[in-house]
Amino acid sequence: MTDHGLTTQPAAANASVLTHMPGVAFMLILLFVAFATASPGFATLANLSNVVLQSTILLIIALPMTLIIMTEGLDLSMGAVLTLTSIVFAAVLLPTGSYAVAFLASSAVGSLFGAANGWLIAVPRIPPFVTTLGTLGIAQGLCLIVTDGQSIVGLPPQLQLLYAGTILGVPVPLVMAAVAYLAIHGVLYHTRFGTYVPALGGNREALRQAGVNDSLVLVAVYTLGGFMAGVAATLLTARMNAAHPTAAIGMEFDAIAAVAVGGTQFERGNGWLFGTLLGVATIGVLRNGLNLLAIPSSVQVSCVGLLVVLALLVDGLRSTDE
Amino acid sequence: MTGMETTAASPRFVMSGDLTQLFYRLAAVGLICVVLSFLNDAFLTINNLLNVLRQASLVFFMASGLTLVILTGKIDLSVGATVGLSACLAATMIKSTGSPWLGAMVGIGAGSLVGIANGVMVAGLRIPSFIATYGSLWIVQGITYYYMAGETIYGFPPGFRALGSGYALGIPIPVYLMAGFLFIGSFFARRTTYGQQIYAIGANAVAARLSGIPVNSRLVLVFIMSGAMAGLASLVFLARLNSAEGDIGESLTLPTIAAVLIGGTSLFGGIGTVFGTFVGALILTLILNGMNLLAVSANWQPLVTGAIIIFAVWLDMATTARREASA
Amino acid sequence: MRISHIMLAAAAMGAATTAACADGETIAVFTKNQTNPFFQNVRVGTENAAKQLGAKVIQYVPTRPDSIPEQLSQIEDVIIKKPNAVVFIPVDYKAMVPGVEKMNAAGIPVVNTTDHSAGGKIVAFIGIDDYKVAVTTARSLLNAIKGRGNVVIIEGVKGSLSSQDRVRGFNDVLKEFPNVKLLASQPGNFQRLNALQVMENLVQSFPVIDGVIAANDAMAIGAIEALDAANRKSVVVGINGTKEAVEAIKAGKLLASGQADPFMQGCLSALVALRHLRHQPVPDEMYLKPSVIDKSNYQQFDMPVEARTCPKWDDAATN
Repeated sequence: MTDHGLTTQPAAANASVLTHMPGVAFMLILLFVAFATASPGFATLANLSNVVLQSTILLIIALPMTLIIMTEGLDLSMGAVLTLTSIVFAAVLLPTGSYAVAFLASSAVGSLFGAANGWLIAVPRIPPFVTTLGTLGIAQGLCLIVTDGQSIVGLPPQLQLLYAGTILGVPVPLVMAAVAYLAIHGVLYHTRFGTYVPALGGNREALRQAGVNDSLVLVAVYTLGGFMAGVAATLLTARMNAAHPTAAIGMEFDAIAAVAVGGTQFERGNGWLFGTLLGVATIGVLRNGLNLLAIPSSVQVSCVGLLVVLALLVDGLRSTDE
Repeated sequence: MTGMETTAASPRFVMSGDLTQLFYRLAAVGLICVVLSFLNDAFLTINNLLNVLRQASLVFFMASGLTLVILTGKIDLSVGATVGLSACLAATMIKSTGSPWLGAMVGIGAGSLVGIANGVMVAGLRIPSFIATYGSLWIVQGITYYYMAGETIYGFPPGFRALGSGYALGIPIPVYLMAGFLFIGSFFARRTTYGQQIYAIGANAVAARLSGIPVNSRLVLVFIMSGAMAGLASLVFLARLNSAEGDIGESLTLPTIAAVLIGGTSLFGGIGTVFGTFVGALILTLILNGMNLLAVSANWQPLVTGAIIIFAVWLDMATTARREASA
Repeated sequence: MRISHIMLAAAAMGAATTAACADGETIAVFTKNQTNPFFQNVRVGTENAAKQLGAKVIQYVPTRPDSIPEQLSQIEDVIIKKPNAVVFIPVDYKAMVPGVEKMNAAGIPVVNTTDHSAGGKIVAFIGIDDYKVAVTTARSLLNAIKGRGNVVIIEGVKGSLSSQDRVRGFNDVLKEFPNVKLLASQPGNFQRLNALQVMENLVQSFPVIDGVIAANDAMAIGAIEALDAANRKSVVVGINGTKEAVEAIKAGKLLASGQADPFMQGCLSALVALRHLRHQPVPDEMYLKPSVIDKSNYQQFDMPVEARTCPKWDDAATN
């Protein structure tokens, strides 16, 4: 079976580590060292656990986003779908008191949006940017309409344990993020379906000729995204002990930035899942470090943009050497 | 004339396809107007229609520059933030010198600078335009926030304010500007070498380069134009709002992109027109206006906008497919 | 003391203390966003008060305006740094309760400002009685139109407590004026552009609008711009008392603005936080007296916020 452009690392791995270390790892280490030196509270267990916890929700949606971008696609609606499924989760939890039913409802709604995205992109071939921009609006609209702008509160206090509690000493969000990562990793690198994903981006024709229903695969990838949004929604709702119609609006951009910073390319289907993990970590470290240094919020805004541009610059410059 | 060898998407073919699309869209505009005039008495009044035109013009200024970028197959997400930066800088200049012209120069200049930065990143550094302009969005936004430090700049000379809220011969001044830019933009895209080259790049960048078109410098050009138009739009916003705040452009990015897409410009590049964008802006504004007149809660606006985007592009693709199949 | 009006507080503490020597405390101040001048004034107020008392202030503002997850993250980050106290304006008064509880658990005293949090333990609440201010402001407009005519209300952000209370106040006052008709009540999201567009549309739908009651100044000014552009006249009121509103009152374009004095809210919040840290008595709540800025009294507010100074505690307490 030919390599469908699937890579586990974005650059040649045999030469010197320093010149071929992925841009994101370089940035992460640089930021880590810089913040640890500049801010005494940074490199403490308490703070780093915070950073990890704060990054779990983003990681859970960045993972399927990686797959989506590997298909040369995009999902701009993830933040809005995450918000909507959070609202569904809360709205179902309130009357039923059953976490299982609420989760079922939220993941169903998420999967539905994902499937709709996938279908529109696969069948009438509406470009992913357009489709997901449209579903972003629809999901966001539903959030506002259902709640009329108000938070949903009055949820059972045990809900907070989902974010603040531990399983065998490990915080629940971390467990969920680890499970999500392992699951997506397994699917991408150890199943036949996983090999189809980058092929959708790099060589769709070959896939079709091999007899694979590429539309179905595409729908599956986007549905996975919607489903994971539903999963992340449980953590989000637990964190706030409430649901709010604008809670996660815009988070898809952080996810896309994490994927891009992590080395997955927008064209030709090259992707690196571990890179996304590093990308999420880098963004989390950046925001946390800037907060600890009490850098003004306006400067923080620019820093995030600079991070994205620089990481891509580094990768771009290095790939022109090869 | 320029030795362009692109076949399937040379401007001539594009034009005939575009005409069908434009026809559908203009029909849609007519249909919407008819329906709205039945649903609400206030719709078909001169005042309201002029209002709609004026509101559409604001979206159009930003969307027209963006159209050129999208025609080359790229995207510019930083338009909203650029409007914010240009507005705040122009406002400062107008307040301190009292001259709207200096303010205009500063505003358009600032927008162009952002455009140059975007162009260099996309064309020179080969960073995908989506992520490059997303990064510049945040950088520009941060600069604007830092500069404004939470303050508002307000109180501009009445002559300047006429730019946004004034009338000439009973028609709002922004509408004249819109007509002007519609003409200039369409002329540029259709009748100048630059414009034809832009279409060629969008249709097939490799072929365009092989046929001698300086792709990189044209890309930088379209980003500069997108930024400059954002700068211009910011002036009209300033004039209309009579004030500048750090977040003045934030809510505009989505409607701007929507107008371009609804207007029939394809994200793949090479297909679309400035006039189409005008019609797209009109359709969007009409529907939002109708919703307001019918007292539909503002909560519905994002949903309706999203649905229209999908519907419009879907329709385009369906009709194009049918046309190509029967050709 | 469960409830203490500022007057009572004055009696209790009259000559108690003034500025102590520089203790160098650090106060973390949380506000909702970077762009609304209201919060900028609060921030300036806290810094002014802290400087007078030899303390330091660090500002935390979400990079995404009004972002709940970001403010939660900032709280978690702040707890690591362990400031002596926190002045807290929640981006959402319901959803930020876990954040307040986190600070409680970390033993950091919290002074709640502007939007009353729906839960968690706080040292004190400083703000205005949005309801009462709204009532006073709306009443001044309804009196100005002589109790008859058509009015419209422009609301704020749907989920915001201050918006809800202010709109409730507007509606209750309307009941006192049976000859006034409410044509429409639409949200303007506390933003100028939204209110401008809403007003433009209202002006199309209704040929006669005698009064516009806006839930904040930015929207009131937006409405005025729309009216000017359409060559229409209405009596307009807003709330917050921003500098722009004061100038509009001076120019005769705005009738009045309900006093929210965000600068003072900032001053008092920082003062209360510091007093609490220095073991000096503080009241549970401080509500600024409901008042309205109009042509008769705008002069004292007609200056940039940086030029103002926070009052000493005794003066504030007697206000």
